[in-house]
Amino acid sequence: MATLRWGRSAAELSRALRSSGHPCTTAKEGILVGLWGSRRNSSASPCEQERRKDWGHVELLEVLEARVRQLQAESVSEVTVKRVEVTRIPADSGRAGGTPPPAKAELRIGGSWARKLDQDQQMLQKRQKLVREKLQAKGRFLAPEFKLKAKAKAKSPTKPSAMSMAAPKARSAATAKLPLSESQLVSKQPANRNDRTEEPAEEPVDWGPAQPCEAPLNLNRSEMQHSLKLSLEQQTRQRRLEAFLDCCLATEHMALASRVLTKQYSSPTKQGLITQAMCNTVMLGWARKGSYRELLSVLSIMKAGGFTPDLLSYASILQCLGRVDRDVVVIQRCLEQMAQDGLQLEQLFLEVTLSSEEKAAMLRAVLKAKPDFCPPQPSPQVNTSTLLREVYAKDGPVSYPRLHLPLETLKAMFRQQLSLELASVVHVESVEKVLSPTQKTLEARKTLDTLRRTWEAELHRQLQEAKARLAQLTEQGRPTLYPFLCVLPEDELVQMLLQFLNILPAQGEPFVYLVQRLAMKTFERHILQQRRCRGQLQELEQRYTQYLQLLASDTQMAEPCLPRQHWEMLGPPEPAPPQLWPMMDILSLGKLLLEILVQSVQLPPSLSLSQNSSQPVPMLYHVYTFRGIRQIGFLRPHPAFIQLLEDAAEPSLIFEATDMPMLCPPVPWSSSQSGGFLLSPTKLMRSVDGSLQHQNLLESCPPTELHGALDALTQLGNCAWRVNGRVLDLVLDIFRDKGSAHLGVPPPASEAPRPPLDNLPPDASPHRKAELRAEVTRCLKIAREMHSLWREALYRLSLAQHLRHQVFWLPHNMDFRGRTYPCPPHFNHLGSDLARALLEFAQGRPLGPHGLDWLKIHLINLTGFKKSEPLRARLAFANTMMDDILDSADQPMTGRKWWMDAEDPWQTLACCMEVARAVRSPDPAAFVSHLPIHQDGSCNGLQHYAALGRDSVGASSVNLATSDTPQDVYSGVAAQVEVFRTRDAKQGLKVAQVLEGFISRKVVKQTVMTVVYGVTLYGGRLQIEKRLRELENFPQVFVWEASRYLVHLVFRSLREMFSSTRTIQHWLTESARLISQAGSAVEWVTPLGIPIIQPYHKESKLVIRGGLQSITWNTSADVNQKPKVVKQKNGFPPNFIHSLDSCHMMLTALHCYRKGLTFVSVHDCFWTHACDVSVMNQVCREQFIRLHSQPILEDLSAFLVRRFCSADSAQPGTKGRLNSKLLEMLLAVPRKGDFDLEKVKTSTYFFS
Amino acid sequence: MRKDLGTVPHRFRSDSCPKLWPCEDRRESPPTSASHLFSKGYIVNPTLAATLVERLQLTENGHRHLIIECDPGHGILTKALLNTGASVIALQSDKKFIPHLKSLQEKLNGKLQVVYCDFFKMDPDNHNTVHPPVVLSQELFPSLGIEANSWSEDIPFKVIGTFPPNNERKALWKLLHDLYVCSSIYKYGRVELCMFISEKQYEKLAADPTNPDLYHVLSVLWQVSCKIKLLYKVSKILLHFKKKLYYISESIFRFLQHSSKYQNLCFVQIIPRKNLFTKYLTPINYDIFFHMVKQCFGRRSAFLTHHLHSLTPYDPVAILNEAGINTNFKSCEVYPQDYKHLFETIECSSDNDNKWLYDRVLENIEC
Repeated sequence: MATLRWGRSAAELSRALRSSGHPCTTAKEGILVGLWGSRRNSSASPCEQERRKDWGHVELLEVLEARVRQLQAESVSEVTVKRVEVTRIPADSGRAGGTPPPAKAELRIGGSWARKLDQDQQMLQKRQKLVREKLQAKGRFLAPEFKLKAKAKAKSPTKPSAMSMAAPKARSAATAKLPLSESQLVSKQPANRNDRTEEPAEEPVDWGPAQPCEAPLNLNRSEMQHSLKLSLEQQTRQRRLEAFLDCCLATEHMALASRVLTKQYSSPTKQGLITQAMCNTVMLGWARKGSYRELLSVLSIMKAGGFTPDLLSYASILQCLGRVDRDVVVIQRCLEQMAQDGLQLEQLFLEVTLSSEEKAAMLRAVLKAKPDFCPPQPSPQVNTSTLLREVYAKDGPVSYPRLHLPLETLKAMFRQQLSLELASVVHVESVEKVLSPTQKTLEARKTLDTLRRTWEAELHRQLQEAKARLAQLTEQGRPTLYPFLCVLPEDELVQMLLQFLNILPAQGEPFVYLVQRLAMKTFERHILQQRRCRGQLQELEQRYTQYLQLLASDTQMAEPCLPRQHWEMLGPPEPAPPQLWPMMDILSLGKLLLEILVQSVQLPPSLSLSQNSSQPVPMLYHVYTFRGIRQIGFLRPHPAFIQLLEDAAEPSLIFEATDMPMLCPPVPWSSSQSGGFLLSPTKLMRSVDGSLQHQNLLESCPPTELHGALDALTQLGNCAWRVNGRVLDLVLDIFRDKGSAHLGVPPPASEAPRPPLDNLPPDASPHRKAELRAEVTRCLKIAREMHSLWREALYRLSLAQHLRHQVFWLPHNMDFRGRTYPCPPHFNHLGSDLARALLEFAQGRPLGPHGLDWLKIHLINLTGFKKSEPLRARLAFANTMMDDILDSADQPMTGRKWWMDAEDPWQTLACCMEVARAVRSPDPAAFVSHLPIHQDGSCNGLQHYAALGRDSVGASSVNLATSDTPQDVYSGVAAQVEVFRTRDAKQGLKVAQVLEGFISRKVVKQTVMTVVYGVTLYGGRLQIEKRLRELENFPQVFVWEASRYLVHLVFRSLREMFSSTRTIQHWLTESARLISQAGSAVEWVTPLGIPIIQPYHKESKLVIRGGLQSITWNTSADVNQKPKVVKQKNGFPPNFIHSLDSCHMMLTALHCYRKGLTFVSVHDCFWTHACDVSVMNQVCREQFIRLHSQPILEDLSAFLVRRFCSADSAQPGTKGRLNSKLLEMLLAVPRKGDFDLEKVKTSTYFFS
Repeated sequence: MRKDLGTVPHRFRSDSCPKLWPCEDRRESPPTSASHLFSKGYIVNPTLAATLVERLQLTENGHRHLIIECDPGHGILTKALLNTGASVIALQSDKKFIPHLKSLQEKLNGKLQVVYCDFFKMDPDNHNTVHPPVVLSQELFPSLGIEANSWSEDIPFKVIGTFPPNNERKALWKLLHDLYVCSSIYKYGRVELCMFISEKQYEKLAADPTNPDLYHVLSVLWQVSCKIKLLYKVSKILLHFKKKLYYISESIFRFLQHSSKYQNLCFVQIIPRKNLFTKYLTPINYDIFFHMVKQCFGRRSAFLTHHLHSLTPYDPVAILNEAGINTNFKSCEVYPQDYKHLFETIECSSDNDNKWLYDRVLENIEC
């Protein structure tokens, strides 16, 4: 009965709606009121009789009706208020506006909604019954307890509690469906005094009644239990739904979002998937639009789902209230409720990151209720760790460096960079040898142009089709890829897809990689789009310009401060960029896009290689290639297209804006997500695609903890660079000619060996033919490799040429261990010798009294000729070689070519030129030098181990102790190995005798170097085997046996020399083994405060079927998988040492900055100006001592115990045993030796 | 229409489908002790050995056969082979049997040679480090006095053995590559293989479009290159293999005993075809042929025309018409010899390098 009745009234409702599309007459409005009125009556009387028959349904209905009535009341009053306002101050309507005026199109939707409503209602009631039965059977449901009170207040107080259980859910489910139709309906009604007076009384139902204080706690717990119960698959679905709603929010498809959320909510199986975050997202969307009723309906879903509104929810509500300009009473009640929920108003402005426009709307609402409210300003917080105390000390000498450029120049640079990032791609002229275009070239370019236009049109068409298809599905309430497709303007998407064709290598690429790249690119552009649209550009410009005052050469600052501190003072933190979509969506989206691309691009028959075909052929073809039993799908461009590209020889290369160095100083890092490029997303910590663990860890740690890392990265990025033009000219000459393998300039693929295909006799044996085939393959492979090397060099050199007359910056970020890297991949100071030689500091410094000497010493260091000599000898050698040095500088390609024999020839040459210029200048001390001088740690990993274990012998062999000549640890190990060998040889061991005279520094070097980074006996043996094979007169039959013997000796020698190193390594390895065996990934915090987690897990597979091919995504970073014990265990020691060396580097960077030095690093190689080398060297040594004076291992042990040995160590069974074993292991911190760290202070060769 | 089919052996052809060996031999209870284990994995039943020798028809036309026996173990079959007058080279991969075989060798002056060698690991991809039992054919065969026959000549020798039960596929692929490039054993001519193979694998090898579920890449490539004939079928209970699985637990052993699918082993004869390289298929382009077949079976239910789009720039319909293949055929509906024919049609169509959209290096890319 009840259903029927509801159905009827709903039908009437829809009829009414349809008619109300026309301008309403009073008569019609009257009817409408009448209808509503009668329904309300019916709910009052006949229901009472029916209640006994069907408790559940009646209950449900009543709730629904009450809700409808209440909403009706609200919207009426709202409209009234608005009308009044409009008449009073017409000019103000724009600001208050947000509720869209009823339009015809929407009314039609409303009609279909209403029609659908009665069907849904029936369904809902059935489901509701099921749910209720289920719940009753379980006998526990936390949410209703307070809901019950709500009912008690709002409605009849005599209801049996068991019956009302299902009510809240039913109510909100129904109301959630209503908004659109209701809004259309009621907005047409005249103001009703009664309704208006009712409003305050009804309002509390929305806000939720006063709750006992424990309620939120209860709920949180239930929520937690809830999420624990969800299976992995459900969690994935939850994440996907969240991503879907986020995308809807970004693309302003709020109606779709609401619909999908409601649909989820009305399905008993999917109900549990709804999270508070989802509701918050949708609410924020409505808040931005100023749609108050829709927002309330989402709020009711949220509350019915058992969630208490949190800060984000209130922020949305207030923002919305600010936009729609509601009554003060409503706002006041909202604030009261918020206070009752234990949330402070100040928190809203401090903890929720909103754009300033949104904040303004929120403030507008708050000010109405509390006119004297003043939004709090965040107070800067300072890191308090002992290591960094000096860095952040307010007193003491501070001379932060400034750039050499005036403010106006920097501003212009900013605008240049901004427009570059807005365009998101950069065309860079290629440095390839250009011939003047022939007729053929011009024709090819024309053909290419026509083709691209055709493809563009086709892509547009296909994309629209796909969108229309998906939109239809989404309309039905199913989350699809539709909003993901809409995140970018269609035109941008099409251009992006077309660009993809240009960079596809001739041999093709695995389908799954392309899919992933395409989607990641879309996501990155999406973030860019977000930053671009929400009026953030002006804000950024303003803030950045103010920031530049700190760096420019011609401005004054009242108080010296670090770039990050200054940036933070200039404004609130930026809103966090959207979270990465789940891998499933990433891959599905990429696949969809790629399939559209494959379908759209075709070559006309005239271009295809065969003459007889008449049909257009696909430009991208899909093939399989096989690795054993694995079948891998490849996508390859048609050879005809490659040919066309080659013929066209387009003179420019296309780079992403993020692949380019920046043209203005990077934005300082102020949190884990903001810093680096102006708009393009940059992550503080790099990670494998799809892994969020590092990001989560960074976000969850207190912001001040990260200050050290943030400031260090900012400072590394603030170093200005320029291109060394003279070196570039020389390199370009060689590159455009035929390259030079010896000098590291890759020759073009045309220089590759050619297969001897032509001289095959026709009657050759099958075997001969097979040999020929192998030869052909080999040649092809070499050509491919040469081509990819050549291509890499082409990118680098083209970028260098492009930036030749500019100053540029390399924003930095770090890997998961804290090691720092420049973000632009092709052109940076981390590359090969050639890449490094192309760069120099844009800011020069006079050499000063000792600068020239350092320049010379650096030159000799680069040649690698005098490694074991003291500095004096190197300097003396440089002076004796001055003739050759000057000759190299003057006639690099025609002279005696001394520089070409150096270890790093191009850097040597650059240094020769600098030396030549310096000595020829009238006053070398005043000569302004731009060349970076390097100081290298000698076997830096072992240095850290030796310092950790206070290992006397080890320490002096890696130059921690004072010494006149540099110690060489490799020679030391070789000598020790030789001692063991002689002993064995005397005892008659064959292998030892054979090896006589073959043990050298070279044989053991690689193994010693890598032993710190966890090389195993197996790997070490392979390394030594390789060296022994290179020895000409070594009897090759013994290689295997000898290498096995030697690797044992090397390990034994290392154990003897670095006694505590091995102990520490063992301790780390075993701890990691136990931790990962217990099921956790190893985590730690570096002395500088960076949280680290090892992303090694068992491989998880993600399969997406259907379409062109099914794709499988393997990842080892999935936190839901068990940790991979072997990798966790072997990875821990090297990763830990890397995290220490990065700390050392960062500390040095921070202190150098405080002293006004220019400082950059390539891991354990520190760079600065020649005049500052001694200062940097001193800082570097001091900070090493500071770092290792900390109880590093003890801290680590304490942290691991806290993190991994919780109170449940008393657990029974294997788990308990494992736990106690772990505790025992963790507490057994290796003992230290007696090395005095202070000796480092006077060690000349520690870093040299 | 399918005249070329006559050469392809049909499964269960009445004359080549012997009855199952009676399996009442109950001595073969699940292994219990170590000494027991090591007698397993090899032919231990003289009657079976005699039957096999008979099937091999070694005594016909008075020819003196050269036979390479892989893993003879106890030498039961070896003795039977020697009795026919053949000379046998025993390649034994398990060191434990070497002394026993050596003693056998001493008794028979010259007709038996024993080498410590694993036939299926011969000529590995990386040539730098080989230790016995892994050997190089170019070192082994000359030392045994075997000379190479040309492809068109007679069969140089027979290889008798059993495919390693845990990776039959791998062994089949390795032999296939060796065969198409005439390297390793096939450098010595058209070597005949007489091998035990699991029934399931045999069915796959011999499958054609009439049983599309079993028809796959290996079927095409093997049938194109070789005549495959089933000589004998035997219940697996009589033979025990080295495969560790069989020792893991009694329950697994029992399961294998009772599941009929795994019980049977087929003794098959595989002789390379004389006419394999007479036309356009050569060791130079065999990899393209391999790729073509693999690509077609990558999506076996797709139309051949669809695959040809990814294989050649030519018009697929025209090509298929020229090769006389129905243009509506799917990959699994084309007979092996037709694949070869299709390949040769494209291959001979022009001298142009661009007749194939195939990239050799692609096969070596790591990903």
